[in-house]
This record gives sequence, structure tokens and C-alpha cells, in this order.
Amino acid sequence: MTGLDWAVLIVYLVAIVGFGIWIGRDTKQISDFFLAGREMRWWAAGLSVMATQISAITFVGTTGQAYTTGMSFLVVYFGLPIAMVVLCLTLVPFFYRSGVFTAYEYLEKRFDSRTRTLTSLLFLFSRGLAMGVTLYAPSLVLSVILGWSETTTILVMGGTTILYVVHGGNKSVIWTDVVQMLIIWIGIFMCAGVAIANLPETFSLRDSLAVAQITNHLEMMDVSADPAKPYTLWSGLIGGAFLAMAYFGADQSQVQRYLSARSLQESRLSLLFSGFLKVPMQFLILLTGVLVFVFYHFERPPLLWNAQAMHRLEREAPADAAAMNTALGSAHADRQAAAAEYARTRSPQAREAYVEAHGRLSSIHQQAGRRITELSGAKSYNDTNYIFPSYVISMLSGGLAGLVMAVIFAAAMSTLAGEFNSVATATMVDFYQRFVRSDASASHYLWMSRLFTALWGGFACLVALRAGQLGSAIEVVNRFGSYFYGSILGVFGLAILTPRASARGAFYGLIAGMATVYLVSRFTTIAFLWYNVVGAVTVFVVGLVITAAAPGPARPAAA
Amino acid sequence: MGEPDDDAPVPLFGTWTRIYAAVLLNLLVMMALLLAFSRWPY
Repeated sequence: MTGLDWAVLIVYLVAIVGFGIWIGRDTKQISDFFLAGREMRWWAAGLSVMATQISAITFVGTTGQAYTTGMSFLVVYFGLPIAMVVLCLTLVPFFYRSGVFTAYEYLEKRFDSRTRTLTSLLFLFSRGLAMGVTLYAPSLVLSVILGWSETTTILVMGGTTILYVVHGGNKSVIWTDVVQMLIIWIGIFMCAGVAIANLPETFSLRDSLAVAQITNHLEMMDVSADPAKPYTLWSGLIGGAFLAMAYFGADQSQVQRYLSARSLQESRLSLLFSGFLKVPMQFLILLTGVLVFVFYHFERPPLLWNAQAMHRLEREAPADAAAMNTALGSAHADRQAAAAEYARTRSPQAREAYVEAHGRLSSIHQQAGRRITELSGAKSYNDTNYIFPSYVISMLSGGLAGLVMAVIFAAAMSTLAGEFNSVATATMVDFYQRFVRSDASASHYLWMSRLFTALWGGFACLVALRAGQLGSAIEVVNRFGSYFYGSILGVFGLAILTPRASARGAFYGLIAGMATVYLVSRFTTIAFLWYNVVGAVTVFVVGLVITAAAPGPARPAAA
Repeated sequence: MGEPDDDAPVPLFGTWTRIYAAVLLNLLVMMALLLAFSRWPY
């Protein structure tokens, strides 16, 4: 990065922290701190919903995924608009009218306190640890790219976010999200534009898409009914809809965004905003990854995208590294010539030559990955997340690399800010006010809320700093969320769709749902997008059966 | 079920039914365009 790039990144960090602290200066009580005084306009809450969802690793990970395997991941978002409409018709009015701070608070009104406590605990456990991953994953990549230590990267990213969230609460979160989301949008358009501009003059955008089509990089409409396939049209529409309903309807980090809107109408509009924009936004991000893939037909890609891993390979196995580099150079030259020939003629022979050269090049990358795995003693090697930042650093100039780094920071910080604020809310409202101090002053609650925010932020930094040693535990944490999100959604379904569902049915249904998802993930090959469907349906059915067997007192769904 | 009951008019679309229909129609149009994009003989 040049001095101008560093200046852009530093100006972003200082400006966003300053703005976050300034905008939250009027926070006087916990309704301000947690729900921004319920005065947000729909577009601000809507941009905050989008900014909270798009994490840094979503940004760099999906571009990397598009580079390696193509755009099939886009189907994950096909169910999102459907989910937004369903949520606007069902959960959102119940949450908003009942005046709750947390989604789980509603479950006590409808069922009982233990269902609220269990769901809130599950949220705190999962989201608390997941915050560490949200912080660790981009820090790992950025530390290599920026040349910082992992500790410095984690502390800069986590520390700056803690500063403004502790000070201004949800108002600071939402308004900084608005700014960060605009920066992210600018970054997305800029990256797509630069990727197109960086293609050789003799190679048009049409040629690029034709080449990407050969390797199925543009394929995103797989209509296969195989439930083991991760990204099919059906898993995207059905599984993706349940995933989005669970995330936006049962995860406090999202519920809190739209509960901050000034009316039920604006709350709904904030969600529908994402319903309109999410698919095109993800399309642009993935398309950028595909264009970077085509760009590296004309610029020799590195053997390994992770520079640290590459140095290690060259240091510890220099002969292997040299041999593989030579083979890569040859395969790259052949692929480049074949791509140019295909662009010129579209002939089957050129296509065949391209497929052969591309296969050779991919196999050399895999070979290098296996070699570095042997040297490091790790279980596997995956450098997908390093592709896009490496491209940015090596190919963008004039402050643009600094701007894209700022975009990655913005994506990480906007997600973290929402997470810090939401776990502090659940801790205060679902536990502290119920079990520790129920009669304290507004000022006491505000300062305790700030303390919880700081503690959770510190905990996230600690998890991130230790994540390298936790290894497979991180994977367990990531999986854990998928075990219960759908199940919690099932409990909310029971709460509002079946007036007779009992508290006992909801509680044991939730446990049965989580157990079923665990068994499905452990003993079948069903793809993860279906887990939320399995969890939600199981809770609903088991909850109804238990209610029928042992009916409890009927409680109204509305607050 | 929570039927929309806000009196304030819905921006641009006028009614809730229309805006929900627009979100779903937008999805269908996007999917059709994406299908064309991925299968187009470039």
C-alpha cells in the first residue's frame, strides 16, 4: 500500500469513530442505547440491516469463492426476499406492537420465562463466540495483506468499534452502519468497474463472460433435487428462505435493527429494502470475483494466494516451489493463449485447449496446497479469502487500495457493532433486569449497558486472539448456530401461528428440533441450507404433538 | 396473523399488498435475468 492508501484507511477509521461518538452524544437512557429511541427512518434502519448482514468475510470470501468455483453461491440469497415478506406479515408486527427490546422477551409473554431464558442463552452463547470469528477471520487475512500482526489488526478493528458502540449504543450503530453501507456500495461498484477496466483492450467483457462460462463460473441455476448438493435453486429458495427467516426473525442482532424504526410501517419497510437490493448486491460482488478470475488469465496468479504460506513453501521446500512455479508459468501461458484464441474464434478446438490448460493450472494450485498442508501439519489449506485482497493490493493504485481496505474494515465493523449492541441488550434485558437488579435507576441501567457492551467487545477480541489455537472449536461454533437458528424460528412459528400451542410444547419442541438438526448434520449428507427447514418443522410438529397430548392454558399470540 | 394496519400510505407503492407483490416480482425478474445471464451464448 502507498502512503495515499494508508492515509485513506486512517482517515476512514478516525472519521467513523468520531462520527459514531458524535451522533450518539444524546444517549441518555436504555431505550436510546438499545433501540435508538425508536426514532429511526426506514432507510436508515434498512441500510443498518444490510450492513449488519454483510460481514468482511462475506465480502472477501464470496469474491474468492466466485474466483474459484463461480457464482453458484448466489442462490443462498434467493429465499431472502420471500423471507422478508413472510416476516413483515408475521413476526415483525408482533415484536413491534408488544414493545419488546429483545425477540426472546416476546416468548415469555406468549409462553413462559424458561423458553425466553433458553432461547436468549442460546443466542448469547452462539453470537458471543461467533463475534470472535467475525473479528478473527478478516483480521487473519488483513494482517497478511497490511503487514500488521494479527493482534494489532484484531485490536484496531475491535477496539475502534467498541469505542463508538459503548458511547452511543444503537443510534451510533445504525448511523455508522448507514455510512459504512454507502462506503461498501461505492467499493462494490468501484471494484467491479476496476476489474472490467483492468482487462486487456483486446479482450472484451463479452469475451470474459464467454471464457468464464466454459468453467461454469456463471452457473447459478442448478435445478437438481439432490439435497446433498449445497447450492441448488431449491435449496436457495426454500432453505435460503428459512435461513433468512431464522436470521432476521430470531437473531437479536437483526431484530434490534428494525425494532429501532419509528413505526411498524417503517420497521417493515426497512426489511423490504433488503428484499429489493440484496440479490443484485450479491450478484455484483460475485461478478467482481469472476472478473478477477478472468483478469488473472492475463496476469500470472501466484502459486499460493497467502503470501506467508508462499514464503514458507519457498523456504522449506525450495525445489518443489521452483518446480511448481515453472509448471504454473507454463500452464498460465497456455491458458492465456487458449483464452485469447477462444475469444477470437469461439472454436471447439480452442475451448478444448482452454479446458486442458485450466485443468492443469488448477491441479498445480491443488498440488501446492497439499504441499503446504504437509509442511504446516494442518488438516487442510484454503486460501480463498486471500484472493480478492491480494488482487486489490497488487493491482489498485492512487488510494483505491486504501479505499477497498476501508470497505473491508467497514463491513467487519458494521457487523461487529450490531453484534456488540445486541448481546449487551440480551444480557441486560433478558438477565440483568430480571435476575440481578429489577429496580435500579435509568442511569444505572445505562452505565451497566455500556459496561456489558465493553465486556462483550473485550470477550470478542479475546476469542479472536485465541482463535488460532482453538482450531476446530471455531468450526464447531460456526456449526452450532445452524443447529438452533431454525429451531428458534420454529418456536416463534408456534407462538404466532398456533394460539393453542403450550409453553411445554414450545420448550421441548425446541430441544427436539436442535437434537434432530444435530443428528441430520451428523449422520446424513443433507446440505446445510436445509438444516433450518428441518429444525423449524421439527419444533412445530413436536410442539403441536406435545400440546395435543398435554394441553396447557391458551395464551394469546398478540401482546 | 399480523395484518398490516398502519394508516400511513406506503411510499411509492400505495398499499402493502402491492409492495409485497413488487418484492416477489422483483425476485422473479432477477432470477429470470440471472438465468439469461448465466446461459447466454456470449
